[in-house]
Amino acid sequence: MSLAVIILGSVVLVFIGGFFSMLYRGIDRKLVAYMQGRVGPPIVQPFRDVQKLLMKENIVPDGAVSWLFNAAPFVCLITSVLLLLYIPLFGQKALLSGFGDALLVVYLLILPSLAYAVGGFASSSPYATVGAQREMVILMSYEFPLAVSIVSLGWRISHATTSNPFMFSTIAEYPIWSLVGPLGIVGSLILLFALMVITSGKGAKVPFDMAEAETEIAGGILVEYSGRNLCLFYLADIVKAFAMASLVVALFIPYNLSPLVGIGTPVLAGVVDALFFLVKVFVVMFISISVIRTATARFKISQASWLYIMVMTLISLIGLILISVDLMV
Amino acid sequence: MAAGETGKTTYTVPVGPIHPALKEPIQLMLEIEGERVVNADILLSQVHRSIEWLGMNRNNPVQTLYLAERICGICNICHPFCLAVAVEQAANVRVPDRAEYIRVIAAEMERIHSHILWAGVAAHEIGFDTIFYLTWRVREEIMDLIEYVFGNRVTKAVLQFGGVRRDITAEQLPRIRKSLDYYKSIFEHLRRILLEDKTVQMRTRNVGILSGEDALKLLTVGPTARASGVLKDVRHDQPYSAYADLNIKAITPDIVTGTVVGDVYDRIIVRLLEIKQSVEIIEECIARMPEGPIMSEPKMPKLLRLLTDAAGEGIGRVEAPRGEDIHYVRLESGQSTLATWKVRAPTYVNLMAVPTILKGMQIADVPIAFASIDPCQSCTNRILVVDKATGRKSVVGYEEFHGLSVEKTKELQR
Amino acid sequence: MERLTPQAIIDSFRKELGGGFVGGSVYEREIATKKNKFRSLWIEVKKSAFRDAVEHVCHLQKYPHLAIISSSDLGAQVELIYHFTIYYGHYLEELSLGLRIKLPKSDLKIPTITDLIPGAIFTEREVQEMMGVEVVNIPDGRRLFIAEDVPQGVYPWRKDETGPEKLLRVLPGRQPRGKAKEG
Repeated sequence: MSLAVIILGSVVLVFIGGFFSMLYRGIDRKLVAYMQGRVGPPIVQPFRDVQKLLMKENIVPDGAVSWLFNAAPFVCLITSVLLLLYIPLFGQKALLSGFGDALLVVYLLILPSLAYAVGGFASSSPYATVGAQREMVILMSYEFPLAVSIVSLGWRISHATTSNPFMFSTIAEYPIWSLVGPLGIVGSLILLFALMVITSGKGAKVPFDMAEAETEIAGGILVEYSGRNLCLFYLADIVKAFAMASLVVALFIPYNLSPLVGIGTPVLAGVVDALFFLVKVFVVMFISISVIRTATARFKISQASWLYIMVMTLISLIGLILISVDLMV
Repeated sequence: MAAGETGKTTYTVPVGPIHPALKEPIQLMLEIEGERVVNADILLSQVHRSIEWLGMNRNNPVQTLYLAERICGICNICHPFCLAVAVEQAANVRVPDRAEYIRVIAAEMERIHSHILWAGVAAHEIGFDTIFYLTWRVREEIMDLIEYVFGNRVTKAVLQFGGVRRDITAEQLPRIRKSLDYYKSIFEHLRRILLEDKTVQMRTRNVGILSGEDALKLLTVGPTARASGVLKDVRHDQPYSAYADLNIKAITPDIVTGTVVGDVYDRIIVRLLEIKQSVEIIEECIARMPEGPIMSEPKMPKLLRLLTDAAGEGIGRVEAPRGEDIHYVRLESGQSTLATWKVRAPTYVNLMAVPTILKGMQIADVPIAFASIDPCQSCTNRILVVDKATGRKSVVGYEEFHGLSVEKTKELQR
Repeated sequence: MERLTPQAIIDSFRKELGGGFVGGSVYEREIATKKNKFRSLWIEVKKSAFRDAVEHVCHLQKYPHLAIISSSDLGAQVELIYHFTIYYGHYLEELSLGLRIKLPKSDLKIPTITDLIPGAIFTEREVQEMMGVEVVNIPDGRRLFIAEDVPQGVYPWRKDETGPEKLLRVLPGRQPRGKAKEG
């Protein structure tokens, strides 16, 4: 693949991915509004938010470490967008599929959160400091169950093939559901459930939005951010949620519709697969973000941390055990 | 915003005067160690409207009655009710029995409204916005009923010394019953979402504990005290108005859970059960309401004359939704204003329990623990005179302020 | 604990305080259709007997509820009324007890009662800043309601020269009216 194709492809992919991310955020807000008995904002609201934030003044507080304060939003957005290049989107192979696998994506997922926390520490506000501490705690909490779920998946696939089991192409070629028996299916479902809950945490919405926690610490990390910088964080958050949902889809639902219904033409098949992909992402986002945030109160940081480190790790380990037992029998 | 360092391990986080967790301005200085609150201090004096001063120096008593209604938007019956009781004692004005019942109906409708509103605010504080929207939608029904019966959603201007200004007619009763039945029908839903939801329990159980002894020592009143197991309800202990006919029982959380913990969850239980109790009180009042006049002295000049000539003192006690209101009034013969008027709103005393409630809690518990006493700053801060520019630069005069504002507008227009 | 009748409470105060007791009265009012009684007690004591009187209230009711301290400027004197409620928790038996103390303006000092009733702190701070009555040994003497930029020596509840009249702001376009009294 030539450099020009990569650059051009990246630009196109970022714009399309960004567009759908924002659209999905708008749909999410509308659906949550309906579930709460409100009218809710129009679906294009995230676009208008971005437009408005870009027009606003960008304020750097006096006590802040200004270069770090300004750099953090850029790093956060860039690393979030990078995810879109490594995760297969719209039923196609990922643009940079030859350069990284699922494990790289797991590492990349840490970076936006780190940048987010750095921005909080750099803004010298006690609220932001508390928020940044919370972000670090929650990051460390969900990292372990996330790793367990993905590694279990790859470990099972590695028994079916000799190629790198963490490559998305391999995962797509050997979907977990067709490899395992009944016990393994239960185990995989458990892993899927764990990953969905982690998606909710990655999305940083209620009940896992304690790093922002409007009523507690007045916006937390974002309390001092405004204008352009806030807009970058806002976009990064949206893209990250979309990428995380796409990751779940790529790992657990890597099916395409076109071979099943037998559409031969490449263009038509591409369109059908892309639409099917959007439906799959929508389902994941609806369950793990919209429904959960409508039905729960915000957790305390100690409760969220306990939930991830203890409960979710335990659940994903049970999933792993079930899969390995399934392999032995 | 400045981060004040107080030591090596702790640091100070100011909450307020403007903060999303606070619906009204007040400042809490929290001393934090990690995520834990070590100490808390309350700074009032953020809003002052010199209401007592106006009542003692500018207004005649009838004007003061309407001013009292504006002490707090939510308690817009309790305060004038309380003032009316005190002045009626001081001036020895009789109140017709029918008026007493209408007053109680108005006060109980206000309680239903206030508790539902509180439930929404509390849910918002723990980040459960769905309950917030649902409870506030339920609240609309009582607002509509209040508007239908008393003519306005918020300030109802229904009280007068020696009676009430609006009667409840026979043709209004079916509409009132409809609303009451509505609340009875949804009570079970409210109970399930507020008491049985897992995340609500996670956030409210064993949070903000106030022991019964502390509740008594720190003089807490109302649902805050009752949730700590203190049997204290003016409607029961020293009944005023038509409550003296009703024998209302004080509600404590052990009715539901069997034990008293004194946490936020218990305060939810008390308020929730009081909604049901209020519905029953209104029904009983409608059934027992005697016929008769609603005002002992309908002629305003005569009433004002009577109040000007009267001398004496009285103490009004009213169980407001948040707790006990006390107004002390002293009248001097020949003085057209109240000689002394002292308002004690429930938040005034409940605030003293806040440092105890917050100590040892996490930052995340602060909003819900603080909101659980249902603080009302407009009730508490009402005393100070308007301050003039005293030569300090921090105080900006009206004209200077106006000039600055014009300047800024011009700057933005460019 | 045995609950006394209002008249017996007044007698017990007279016995307990001796020369410090000035007077007491019971106010009763029939209310609503059943003509149940709303009762309040008013007891006046000398300043010297004030602490003993509060201790006696604490003796009548463990944890008496101190509602508020109201204060009036009577010209040469300042009248403080400590509004207690006792016997709560019993139907129709709770009593409002107003403990009245008159202080000459030359000696506006009153001992604190926060050691007996910890929750008295707010209202003592309020009386101190609003009426200029010095509460002796108050554990926390900061201002409560009045903002820091209001000058010292101005007491909003006074009706003499230390009152707040000189702070009244006249908005632009209005004539100063001084102490506006018309209704």
